[in-house]
Amino acid sequence: MTADTDDVENLLRARLENPFLVLEVAPAAGGAEIERQGQRLLAELAAGLDGARRYPTPFGARARTAELVRAAIAELRDPARRLVHEWWAGGLEHAR
Amino acid sequence: MGSNIHVGIDLGTSNSAIALFDGETASVVANAAGEPLTPSVVRIDARGGRTVGRRAQRALDGDPANTRGEWKRLMGTAERLPFESAGAALLPEELSAEVIKSLLADVRDAAGFTPRAAVISTPALFELPQNHATTRAGRLAGLEDVVLIQEPIASAISAGWRADQEGTWLVFDLGGGTLDVSLLETTDGRLRVLDHAGDNFLGGKDMDGALVEWAAAALARRGGDVVGDRASARGRRMLARLRVACEQAKIELSRASHAAISLSDSARDGGAFDLEITRDELDVLTAPFIARSLAAVRVLLAKNHRTPDEVARVVLVGGPTLMPGLRARIGELFGGHLAAGVDPMTIVARGAALYAGSVGLDATPAARAPAPAAGLAVRIEHPSVTADLEPFVVGRCLPALGQTLPDRVRVERDDGKWAGAETPLSPEGSFVVQVRLDRSRRNTFRVRAFDRAGADVKLAAGAFSIVHGVSIGDPPLARAIGVARADDSTQIYFAKGTPLPARRTFAHHTVRPIAAGSDDDALAVPIVQGESVRAHRNRLIGMLHLRGVAHDLPAGSRIEVTLELDRSGQLATRADVPGTGQTFADVAFVLVPTATVETAERELASTNRRAGDVQGRTFQLGVPAAVQAIADVSALLAEAERALPLARAGDLDAGQKLHRLLMDANGALDDAEALLEWPDLDAEARRCKMTYTPLVAQWGTPAEQQLYEQELEAAARARTRNDAVELELHLDAMRGLGRAAYCRDPRSMTDAIDWAAAHVTEAMNVAAATRLLDRARALQAHESLVDQAGGGLRTLRAIVAEIWELFPSSPELQAKSFDSGIR
Repeated sequence: MTADTDDVENLLRARLENPFLVLEVAPAAGGAEIERQGQRLLAELAAGLDGARRYPTPFGARARTAELVRAAIAELRDPARRLVHEWWAGGLEHAR
Repeated sequence: MGSNIHVGIDLGTSNSAIALFDGETASVVANAAGEPLTPSVVRIDARGGRTVGRRAQRALDGDPANTRGEWKRLMGTAERLPFESAGAALLPEELSAEVIKSLLADVRDAAGFTPRAAVISTPALFELPQNHATTRAGRLAGLEDVVLIQEPIASAISAGWRADQEGTWLVFDLGGGTLDVSLLETTDGRLRVLDHAGDNFLGGKDMDGALVEWAAAALARRGGDVVGDRASARGRRMLARLRVACEQAKIELSRASHAAISLSDSARDGGAFDLEITRDELDVLTAPFIARSLAAVRVLLAKNHRTPDEVARVVLVGGPTLMPGLRARIGELFGGHLAAGVDPMTIVARGAALYAGSVGLDATPAARAPAPAAGLAVRIEHPSVTADLEPFVVGRCLPALGQTLPDRVRVERDDGKWAGAETPLSPEGSFVVQVRLDRSRRNTFRVRAFDRAGADVKLAAGAFSIVHGVSIGDPPLARAIGVARADDSTQIYFAKGTPLPARRTFAHHTVRPIAAGSDDDALAVPIVQGESVRAHRNRLIGMLHLRGVAHDLPAGSRIEVTLELDRSGQLATRADVPGTGQTFADVAFVLVPTATVETAERELASTNRRAGDVQGRTFQLGVPAAVQAIADVSALLAEAERALPLARAGDLDAGQKLHRLLMDANGALDDAEALLEWPDLDAEARRCKMTYTPLVAQWGTPAEQQLYEQELEAAARARTRNDAVELELHLDAMRGLGRAAYCRDPRSMTDAIDWAAAHVTEAMNVAAATRLLDRARALQAHESLVDQAGGGLRTLRAIVAEIWELFPSSPELQAKSFDSGIR
């Protein structure tokens, strides 16, 4: 039974790491904007800026790491995967 | 950054090279003999003296028992290669380390320092164990920091890192032993790998083999059987000489239309043999191999919905691509879009060095770095190489005791053509500015700081450089990595394509109790590589063992598993047990399996039987996609049959090839079976929807309902696309959400208690299960379960959860999932 709670927790973890949420950019953002915002966040995290360490989600703020940011940039570079994330981001926006 | 030097190493099957990038140009460092390429050959003499490169290569012929080459295919295996006279046996990565040491010594002689860090290239088809072995080779050679890059990416960077040409690229890399074909795309100055394909057993060596057989037959026809008994020492020696002569002739034919194959046999009177070969004859001999390589190109293009006309540029890499016949065939296919002015022999090393620059991997030792100047310390974060003409730069002032923060900063470009506006510092002493780059060159900037009165504040290190060029994404993970659970499901941690480095944590529960302090009683957490949600369809690559726990861990204890992959694909694994505060990080890497020949023989027989069965069902059910999936299986198994006798004769390379062929065949059969099982999966999707939708609607939390709706929609889309892997993933998520919701339904308690009572004898601890059942029954009799907020229901739920953990997973499923000890 506890394993079932884990399933939900693990699923939430995966869904709330949506690249648009992590990068705090709109699903309509262009490629250049995404790259620049990602690079900015990576630099802010590397410099230890407090504001970069968390990002808002419909279910509360979550920790943001350089790995998450890099993964988010890479996910959105792939047009097919970006479509999927746009779709999930739209759903999560409804949940706000 | 001004004095930074970046190092790239191409660790090739036949030859290796090392290159330096100083921020402006990438240049190959010649070895002591003045050659850009160092043969990947190692010799160890009777006294243990080690020779690497050309001198060692010369001994391959006369002293084969103490000289080794072409071990790259064995990287990641436990095969030790013997050196008879020294009585030594070295692992493939130890031999690679010798080559790297030699290359690093060349840099020391040429540049005056021994590199501390380097990027090493690996074939795109290398998996985790081979990458791990390559990193280890670098470390054994004395490198403190090793980053890996896939060879095709290195080639593409080298060929076009400053080119403004956008569009699709194809990198055709035919090495000594492997073929890698990669499709890349440059958009907005960013280079991305679309896909790659290849053949781990097609290379220049195979062409040389065909030429050797032709030459031996031609000489025999002329009455000079120069090789004789190939099993004898003389036969082996003559064959090795003939191979060298043939390779030489093949290289000559790249420039001339005729070449001679000359061979001397000191054992015979006047034993010199000469044979002439024309380029046309070579073209005929190599035609089947060229056709095979072009077939791989066509498959890759078709899979990515591209035509040859849509490929803007083709980059040729590797010695065999110098063959005019091969270049002509590729030119015909792509209408002559071959990249010009690229040296196919050193392109990979140069690209690796450029990549080292783009990730800021400085090779200079700390002793060579300039001492920090006096002034206020400032940390500046910026990209090393970027396609963005206006990137962000973030800085943070780090005042020492007694120093005060400046009021504002300004960034200026050293060429005097650009200066930013003055930017105030945040209260934490940081600033974020956008700088402007000059196109396609290295841009050096200086940060100036001012106090409130506008006076200059001296900074300890305010200069930095950014190169404008093709921006390269982080290296993508070639195959998904996850953890196998006891029910044969996979928790995917990193999907295929995840950029490295990456780190993720997921929660699990143990499926059985573990006794305190026992080293024998270990709980296994299998780490698998592959895309399937069915654990057994993936490949086991590591095993984390929880052994020696401080306190008894009951079944159902929560553990948090963290997988971490560094940029080189090295895997670190950790399990935290919140209940005891213990951490386990005991990961044992699984090497590329090197089954004995007997095992491989049995596996070949069983794969043949399986292929027959799957083929029968495929044609019976008439599933076209499954027919396509098994199209290559017969050829793979026929190749495996040919490799078997060589493996039996002790050829390690053939043994490895046999293993990989069987893996590829079984992978194709897995794909076909998944397609054949599609109707069952489709029915399961309908059943999941009918079962779980009302449960989640009634008992799920708003977050669960939201997630379920999205999973349901995603599953519907996967069904429309007939995507079994994707559908299984979403069904798994729907089941998880559905079960969580079901647990809130008071009736589920009654169902669970009834089930447990009927199966109590199967519990791992029957007495404990019976006691818990008695408590649950007593509570059921006294509490009203209608009152959902009642404490009784919560207690009952906790008891049922405890009972549940006392039931083991299905032993069959657990065995299939590599004896996983977690849910």
